[in-house]
Amino acid sequence: MTTYQFFTTAWTWNSIALILSALAVIGYFLAFGRRGRPVYFAAAVVVFLLTVISPFSALANGYLFSAHMVQHILLVLIVPALLLLSLPRSFSLRPPVTSLTHPVIGWIAGVGAMWLWHAPALCNAAATSRTVSAIQTTSLLLMGSIFWWQVLAPREEQRLSPPAGIVYLFTACTACSVLGIILTFAPVSICPIYQHPVDRLGILGTIRGDWGLTSDRDQQIGGLLMWVPMCAIYAAAILAQMARWHSSPQPEQSNA
Amino acid sequence: MNGMTTIAEFRNAVLDPAKRRHYQLAWLSTVDHKRIGVLYMLTGLFFFIVGGVEALFMRLQLAIPNNHFLQPDTFNQLFTMHGTTMIFLVVMPVGFGFVNYVLPLQIGARDMAFPRLNAFGFWCLLFGGLLLHFSVLAGGAPAVGWFSYAPMSETPYSSTPGIDYWAIAIFVMGIGTVSFGINTIATVISCRGPGMTMRRLPLFTWINFVNAFMIILALPVLNAGLAMILIDRQLQGHFFLPIGGGSPVLWQHVFWAFGHPEVYIMVFPAFAIVSEVIPVFSRKPIFGYEMVAASSVAIAVLSMGVWGHHMFTVGMGRPLDVFFAISSMLIAVPTGVKVLNWTATMIGGRIRFDVPMLCCIAFLIQFTIAGITGISHASVALDWQTKNSYYLVAHFHFVAVGAIVFAFLAGIQYWFPKMSGRTMSEPLGKWSFWLMVIGFNMTFLIQHALGLLGMPRRVYTYPDLPHWGWMNMLSTCGVFFMGAAALILVWNLATSFFRGKIAGDNPWDAWTLEWATTSPPPHENFVALPPIRSRRPLWDIANPDRPDPIVGENSAAVTLPNHNKIGILTFILSETGFFAALILAYLYFYARPQAGPGPKELDVPRTLVFSVCLFASSFTFWRSEVALTKQRRGSMLGWLGLTIVLGAIFLGGQANEYWKLFQTGVDLSTNMFSTSFFTLTGFHGLHVLIGLIVLLTFLWAAWEGDLVSSRFDSAFKAVGYYWHFVDVVWVFVLLTVYILPLLR
Repeated sequence: MTTYQFFTTAWTWNSIALILSALAVIGYFLAFGRRGRPVYFAAAVVVFLLTVISPFSALANGYLFSAHMVQHILLVLIVPALLLLSLPRSFSLRPPVTSLTHPVIGWIAGVGAMWLWHAPALCNAAATSRTVSAIQTTSLLLMGSIFWWQVLAPREEQRLSPPAGIVYLFTACTACSVLGIILTFAPVSICPIYQHPVDRLGILGTIRGDWGLTSDRDQQIGGLLMWVPMCAIYAAAILAQMARWHSSPQPEQSNA
Repeated sequence: MNGMTTIAEFRNAVLDPAKRRHYQLAWLSTVDHKRIGVLYMLTGLFFFIVGGVEALFMRLQLAIPNNHFLQPDTFNQLFTMHGTTMIFLVVMPVGFGFVNYVLPLQIGARDMAFPRLNAFGFWCLLFGGLLLHFSVLAGGAPAVGWFSYAPMSETPYSSTPGIDYWAIAIFVMGIGTVSFGINTIATVISCRGPGMTMRRLPLFTWINFVNAFMIILALPVLNAGLAMILIDRQLQGHFFLPIGGGSPVLWQHVFWAFGHPEVYIMVFPAFAIVSEVIPVFSRKPIFGYEMVAASSVAIAVLSMGVWGHHMFTVGMGRPLDVFFAISSMLIAVPTGVKVLNWTATMIGGRIRFDVPMLCCIAFLIQFTIAGITGISHASVALDWQTKNSYYLVAHFHFVAVGAIVFAFLAGIQYWFPKMSGRTMSEPLGKWSFWLMVIGFNMTFLIQHALGLLGMPRRVYTYPDLPHWGWMNMLSTCGVFFMGAAALILVWNLATSFFRGKIAGDNPWDAWTLEWATTSPPPHENFVALPPIRSRRPLWDIANPDRPDPIVGENSAAVTLPNHNKIGILTFILSETGFFAALILAYLYFYARPQAGPGPKELDVPRTLVFSVCLFASSFTFWRSEVALTKQRRGSMLGWLGLTIVLGAIFLGGQANEYWKLFQTGVDLSTNMFSTSFFTLTGFHGLHVLIGLIVLLTFLWAAWEGDLVSSRFDSAFKAVGYYWHFVDVVWVFVLLTVYILPLLR
């Protein structure tokens, strides 16, 4: 299969994801109507669907660790951030859920989402079993949302103060970079399934030949994606905190 | 007036033996941030002359082709010492000197948060510098370049003790630098005057505050690397020697993981000075304060992920090259933003072309050139051609001299009146400025061309190829102009100190708080602080009819965080960097199969038992803290004693484990596993031991004294943070070293 054929045909029309997305859209409009910010919500749904049904998903499903990493980053950092941004200002969490809004829990959820699913056994399982993959997707979205809540919650008082937010984001960025560094330089395969993919789609020749992605190189790119571009996402969020800090008229809080 | 009395006092003091003795002791034993700042700068100036003379010898050797004025090995020692001296003993100390002197004044503080730690940092630097230069007498200076690449730096290839002196000296200086970084952060967070909120910090303070975070994260990584190379050299370890399974490339990663942030650590104080001087001499507030502040944060964050661009020629593989090329280009964006802000500040301003401003303008132009050649190195293909050529030498000298030294010259002329009470001579200043501009550009501009013609760096001589001769001669001639500039500067400093024009409190009509006190400031810095409502309090006083807009809200009731807490937390942050480097080094080798002992030799269940003791000691310490809060002396002493016993049991267990390994013939030099295992667990054990000593001190203090003092309380809490941290590190060491092999 050529590259062109692959990118035109390898869309996985995952019915569950489509139905859930449709239900989410209906639910969003029923719950918030016009009070929300539907552009962000639409963006979240689009990115989510691209992540799970586009050819990237097919690649992540047993072929390329780096494609899996793109998926992983989108699901933890991009989709949940857009979801939180789409919430109306009046939105509040109810008591049992509010216990998840402690900064320490948020930080562990964000960093844990990166580390946990790269334990070799879990990473392998997620790349082979559809059920595990579905659990992974759900948990990544949830953990990403818990992480971003500290920074992107709808109302100012629900968020960390900007200096604390910078510390929160910077330490999370470093903790994930360490994983990226390990993945980049590891001489062994972290996710062995990607070393010898089962060639279901007949694309392996193209990947290894035309694209030049050997399994070593593939893991390196995966690690680097987690290290460099992901750090850029955190850096952007940190700059947003600086902007928020310098534009806020609120009395400054002690920044311990 | 004040200046007169200072000089009169000084002259009397020098003449009267009793007072002379007092003055000597006062400077040797000082913990005053102003004196320490001056000491830092004088040390920097002294080593600037040392490093400059080293450079002069190299340029003389290179003036003509096929020259034999210096031996090759002498030349190698010279460029190694020149680089190390200029970076660690000139640029960093002078920058830290400015911070030490100016930063507490700018935020209305009485001193740094930890005055004695401040003195400790300075003496670490001075003795580190002396240790480094002592190597010349002890068998030869290091001769492998300032980044000391392995395996060149290993015993088989460098058998003289030069590298050992180099590594120990930089380790000592690194400890001093980290303590300076911790002190800076704690000072800014905990010692600000009333009304000086974080959003109102002058840019000089803000940029150096951000810089302190880079310091405490980057320097420990270097220290971890230095510890490893010392273990290799002194204890026959294998970290960087391929023969024993080690990896020279790992040294490069460790070194540049420090080395690239280090570039920004050096240049940030320069940025900070320029951000202060340009507005004052343009008679305008800085253009886009927020942009300058935020771009500093962006640089600090990104600086951790760009070090690979120093290693394009190592053969890291194309994926790494591509990612590092892109991230290196990305970091140019916030840097460019700053240049635009400084330039825009000058537009429409009433610019006064005094010496500080002239230096800043030269800084802007030369730093932009340095930035452009810097970006060119982010392109992998171009880097392959120009790496280790004089093109690279020209690039980093445009940063180090063209930008940093010129900014420091601006800073010296700008703050000298505050420090001495007298202004420096403008005519002499202009002479040394123009000589410096001419000399610097004559020396280094041509080196771009030399590099592109193919002249490699670090060669002691070269054949007479077309154009190489006259270009090198021109470059050497420039050095004499720079030397003349430096001599005039020293002359200017000395004469102005004794005979300069009396400056008054605020000779430049500047706006930040250091100009609100006398010149030189009294020991306690301020008699009373002016009201602070914006970023330019003195402007508000001078122009009550059109003050700056109020920044943020006045929050008089804000209590600043305790400095002990901030200090220990930042210390823990820096220790995290140290242990992260050691753990990553362990993992780096763990994954490679090797002969000889491995993790299977370790007795996991027994270690788990001892680990439980260590974890339990965190709990007992917490109980002790609770007892202290409730003022129950007996219970507090009991829990604290139990904590110490548990910690000691853990250490005993570790000692026992070591003993058993030694008995079976496994020691640090056996193979790669044993080297990295003993290093990692040994450094953790050392931290536990230090923690135990501190806990014993507190036990003794609590036994002897009363516990009511709130100082005891906050210090005890600080020790608690450290103790818990040591336990948390053990969680990671336990998982990496003992548990991970079980999962395979």
